[in-house]
Amino acid sequence: MKNIPHDSAGKHVSGQSVYIDDILVNTQLLYGHIMYSPHAYAKIKSIDISTASSVPGVHAIVLAKDIPGENQLGPVVHDEPCLADKEVICVGQAIVLIAAENAECARAAEKLIRIEFEPLDAILDLETAIQKNTLLAPPRTMQRGDADAALKKSKHILSGEVRTGAQEHWYLETQSCLAIPGEGHEMNIYSSTQHPSETQAIVAEVLGLPKNEIVVETRRMGGAFGGKETQANHTAAWAALLAHATRRPVSIRLFRDDDQKMTGKRHPYFIHYEVGFDDAGKIDALKFEQHADGGCATDLSIAILERAMLHADNAYFIPNMTVVGKAYKTNLPSNTAFRGFGGPQGVAGMETVIDRIARFLKKDSADIRKINFYETGERAITHYGQEVELNRLPVLFEELSLSSDYYQRRKEVDAFNARNEFYKKGLAFTPVKFGISFTTTFLNQAGALVNIYKDGTILVNHGGTEMGQGLNTKIAQIAASEMGVSLDRIKVNATNTSKVPNTSATAASAGTDLNGMAVKNAIDILRARIVKLMASEFSKSYPAEASAEKDILIKDNTIFDNQYPERKISFAEAMTLANLQQVSLSATGFYATPNIGWDKQKGWGKPFNYYAFGMSVSEVLLDTLTGYVRHLRTDILHDVGDSINEGLDIGQVEGGFIQGLGWCTTEEIKWDSKGNLLNHSPDTYKIPSVQDVPEDFRVQLLQNAPNPNAIRKSKAVAEPPLMLAFSSWLAIKDAISAVGDHAYEPSFRLPATNEVILLSIEEIKKKKNQ
Amino acid sequence: MQENSEITFLQDGEIRTIRIGKDGFSPTTTVLNYLRASAEHKGTKEGCAEGDCGACTVVIAEPHSDSRLKYTAIDSCLVFLPMLQGKQLVTVENLKKDNQYHPVQQEMIERNGSQCGYCTPGFIMSLLALYKTSNSPSKDEIQDALTGNLCRCTGYRPIVEAAAAACVHEGRDHFSEEEKNVIQKLKSISKDQNSIRLLSGNQIYVRPQQLEEALRFLSENPDALIVQGATDIALRVTKKHEVLGKILDLSALSALKEIKTADREFSFGAGMNLEDIRKYCENIFPPLYKMLSVFGSRQIRSLATFGGNIGSASPIGDTLPVLMALNARIELQSISGKREIPMTEFIIGYRKTQRQSNELISAVIIPKMNPNSIVRSYKVSKRKDLDISTLSGGFSLTFQGDFISAAVLAYGGMAERTKRAVTAENYLVGKKWTREIAEQAGEYVYSEFTPLSDTRSGAEFRRLAARNLMLKFWQDTQH
Ligand SMILES: Cc1cc2nc3c(=O)[nH]c(=O)nc-3n(C[C@H](O)[C@H](O)[C@H](O)COP(=O)(O)OP(=O)(O)OC[C@H]3O[C@@H](n4cnc5c(N)ncnc54)[C@H](O)[C@@H]3O)c2cc1C
Ligand code: FES
Ligand code: FES
Repeated sequence: MKNIPHDSAGKHVSGQSVYIDDILVNTQLLYGHIMYSPHAYAKIKSIDISTASSVPGVHAIVLAKDIPGENQLGPVVHDEPCLADKEVICVGQAIVLIAAENAECARAAEKLIRIEFEPLDAILDLETAIQKNTLLAPPRTMQRGDADAALKKSKHILSGEVRTGAQEHWYLETQSCLAIPGEGHEMNIYSSTQHPSETQAIVAEVLGLPKNEIVVETRRMGGAFGGKETQANHTAAWAALLAHATRRPVSIRLFRDDDQKMTGKRHPYFIHYEVGFDDAGKIDALKFEQHADGGCATDLSIAILERAMLHADNAYFIPNMTVVGKAYKTNLPSNTAFRGFGGPQGVAGMETVIDRIARFLKKDSADIRKINFYETGERAITHYGQEVELNRLPVLFEELSLSSDYYQRRKEVDAFNARNEFYKKGLAFTPVKFGISFTTTFLNQAGALVNIYKDGTILVNHGGTEMGQGLNTKIAQIAASEMGVSLDRIKVNATNTSKVPNTSATAASAGTDLNGMAVKNAIDILRARIVKLMASEFSKSYPAEASAEKDILIKDNTIFDNQYPERKISFAEAMTLANLQQVSLSATGFYATPNIGWDKQKGWGKPFNYYAFGMSVSEVLLDTLTGYVRHLRTDILHDVGDSINEGLDIGQVEGGFIQGLGWCTTEEIKWDSKGNLLNHSPDTYKIPSVQDVPEDFRVQLLQNAPNPNAIRKSKAVAEPPLMLAFSSWLAIKDAISAVGDHAYEPSFRLPATNEVILLSIEEIKKKKNQ
Repeated sequence: MQENSEITFLQDGEIRTIRIGKDGFSPTTTVLNYLRASAEHKGTKEGCAEGDCGACTVVIAEPHSDSRLKYTAIDSCLVFLPMLQGKQLVTVENLKKDNQYHPVQQEMIERNGSQCGYCTPGFIMSLLALYKTSNSPSKDEIQDALTGNLCRCTGYRPIVEAAAAACVHEGRDHFSEEEKNVIQKLKSISKDQNSIRLLSGNQIYVRPQQLEEALRFLSENPDALIVQGATDIALRVTKKHEVLGKILDLSALSALKEIKTADREFSFGAGMNLEDIRKYCENIFPPLYKMLSVFGSRQIRSLATFGGNIGSASPIGDTLPVLMALNARIELQSISGKREIPMTEFIIGYRKTQRQSNELISAVIIPKMNPNSIVRSYKVSKRKDLDISTLSGGFSLTFQGDFISAAVLAYGGMAERTKRAVTAENYLVGKKWTREIAEQAGEYVYSEFTPLSDTRSGAEFRRLAARNLMLKFWQDTQH
């Protein structure tokens, strides 16, 4: 069962998989359009829609004042209006909604709407926000030991800065929602959302309705990556408002440029560090100050900051460590969840520190990493007090340094660089350790509803959503094997809030861990009922030698008595029988991750159920005259426990790595001095193409490393591999450094575009010639 | 040229006639929007509406000979409906037959080629075109065929492997069995439909079959907007939502698609697509081949034309610097005759050329490479493939003995138009081609330009890279 293709693969390849904008609706469907702010920060003085309303084909124009419920979208803090009312706080903020017969009508109407603004001074970058101290929430601190005191005693001290850029999710399917009014107050929402329950809550709030009137359904998303964790709610709320105003179905699929302009991105970070270490490169003290650009509203910024702080150690034991985290408000669209959820920024800080130490001591950075890795006992305790159990770092390092031939290639790279002036090679070996669980502990729960029908087919509902990661495939595999039936008996339903209520977002890589357990729980309940029934049924024919419940097994679509194998019945027949015998064939399941919890205020405890680990070695070739990089080879060894589906897991590792590579290299985002996003389409926003994959790309899963803490001994996989791309990022830095024979610390940042690279090289050349 | 309001093409095995202006379609409705408006063709997706993602990829089949069809993958978001006239439109829904997946589908399923699936129909169509045109393609060829398709989920490796595994049947599939039939049907369309002249609202769309007709129309309608591949023009519709009034579509003119060879030169029809030119140039004009190999994507190059790239006269048009370095000439034609202008003189300002409004670009004439010259081309962009140049260069040096007798150093992206680095050129003439000289020429280049800072890069990067290209040019020519 290990290499089952994605359950929708056949539909994907033949164009039969239905996304929101593909749903067939009757001809009364209206097109929903959003008019948004052209200003980063301004007062709205007046809005005149009079001429626009009379454009033929326009059915409704909705303003903030027309919202029947609360004008709010904020998932945690209520600081994000659904439609701007008195002021706008970023370019791209929605002000007016238009429902029209088609896009042309809606655009014609938009042109006639007059909004008078009074522009105000906007804060458009992190530097200014830090200067003005526009904190979204009080600063947070996590610490262990006394970093200041230890720094004083350290043999060597280095300090510096790391900047990481924003990243656009660039899901192929832009934010989409179809809202269909039902009878009375009912509203049916088909949304491309990672979090149907929250979408339901937000729609209920803006419509001023109780939640039981709202049904949200999500069949699949055309990619999400965190971008549809909270910000899918916006499109859903807008579609719902228009459907409510017109009593007609309304569909919204954001135009690509609008999606890029309106939605939040990965948080840009500015990180300051001060590190103390000895001659060997062993770290005794480390202080980080992390500053995050939250954008114009809180959204998930605080939780993201928390995860960045929790990953500031990456894979290393640091006896004295202090991490201070601050998130600021700026007049840019509210930044949001993105694969890794702050983890990547935290890890970027730590890996930069290691790289600096290595360059300073003129040692191989892999060796610096190795001596600082978490070990056992006291050296297995993180800066927030959790023990790194089942530490896979040593085995990963050992296996990957052999299989990638790291030390030999290091010599070859040095030799190449000594021979070549215009081309330089770089090599880097980086690890990732990633904590699995929502750090807001109560979110670690999931529900399921499993129905068995009289023909023996099974319909599985769970609270997770399918965004390409293959969750539904894994769930079907889990359901089939837990029940003892073949995969073709299982269908996993579209996620629907009327089937499984009050769920958490499909996020934090925890989709399979949580929902898989909930499904297992429901199936355990059903199997117990079936076993009980069949024990008594079998016993009817053999009153002398009754069948015992403990001997009833379900395997390969057959139910039988293990003691008396001739007593058997097909699964389908048994289900018909169960119905006749008035046994319920429907059960709900539930799961909450046990044994976790921590004190957020103190920053101490056990936030994570377990850790996932991985390592990567990358080699690049740099054209020092143009800054162009070739990704020659990447070797990855990643730990997914006992894989439920290797094909899907490798897909997550590779896809995550390439997405990280994009963030580290070509995905650059710029705003102009007025707060307008400049890279608002794929014309200028460059995600990796097929040509950017490492020319030699070797991905392996760590074998024989079961994880006792999750379903079927597996591990979560979606987020951690993204951070393996730091091997490529630091390999680039290594190649730049080679231009100056490693005598100068290169200026560097993330993304390392050809521009960043060339400017850094030129700076080094100047220093060298001085 | 008779007026008509219909266009006819083959889809789902049937001859389909669309009444422009009636069925809700205008002459500039894109093929993508046409498909998405129907309940049966939601498989084709929109990811960007600008040719950058490939989610909208479809395959166009046209007769190649009496018995063979040529299959080309294109971005349907950039193609206007009338351009389908007389062709077969193949979409993702057409691949599975009698409940059997096509080999490209089967391999994609088995190798985890899809995750969220939204990019997948587009990949399938690029794979189909590859399947039909290449047997056992190399990895480079596969990657080239897939450059125009973005996937945010998979990391591409399984898709490349699926391509390698699928494309081993010499293109045989259910489409091959139908080819003769399809050709018959396409012939029956082209018999009764020749030139198209569509009137719809305030739009006129003319697609002549004869050059003569086109020239006459242009002389009577100098305000008409010329369209060939539409990879530039379509963006005005899909991104800026403009309504284009009067359009002269030259894409049906076979007269503009010919290559003529003479003793000393080649003449390429301005209507030739850049993919055909690329293949043709591999050995005769390597610097042009190199430039076209990083031009857009396969889908874009199959639509985009020489005439369109030169006609746009964009400061970042990629063929312009290299054509200048190759000493090319532009042939213009109007109802009253032909004339030729050297490429180095053709562009006179930001998107401005010497073309008169009654003229069209009919050919690009490139002299055979001079054995005494060295010519190279360079493109610097943030992402190597399917990206617009941050800057580009087309350089040529002609030698008399050891000394440089003539130099062309044409740069794109450094000024409001493709521009030569004149002081550097002057400096080079009469010198030997040494590293010191090249570096000094680079310094001249550096001070000669004052480029812009924009989304693609800052000005300083452009100047440094432009300077360094001189050294790179020197290094590349040392053997
Ligand atoms: C995704 C994408 C990627 C791209 N990548 C590149 C790239 O890498 N490098 C690059 O240089 N460009 C690129 N372009 C721009 C564009 O594709 C090229 O400029 C292309 O060559 C235009 O050719 P066309 O036939 O499609 O032109 P059209 O859009 O049909 O026309 C373009 C212009 O030329 C004029 N024109 C066309 N034919 C003639 C003629 N025969 N006589 C006179 N005028 C004429 C038109 O009136 C119009 O002004 C890209 C575009 C897209 C959408
Ligand atoms: S929709 Fe992206 S290329 Fe056409
Ligand atoms: S599978 Fe999701 S974008 Fe390719």
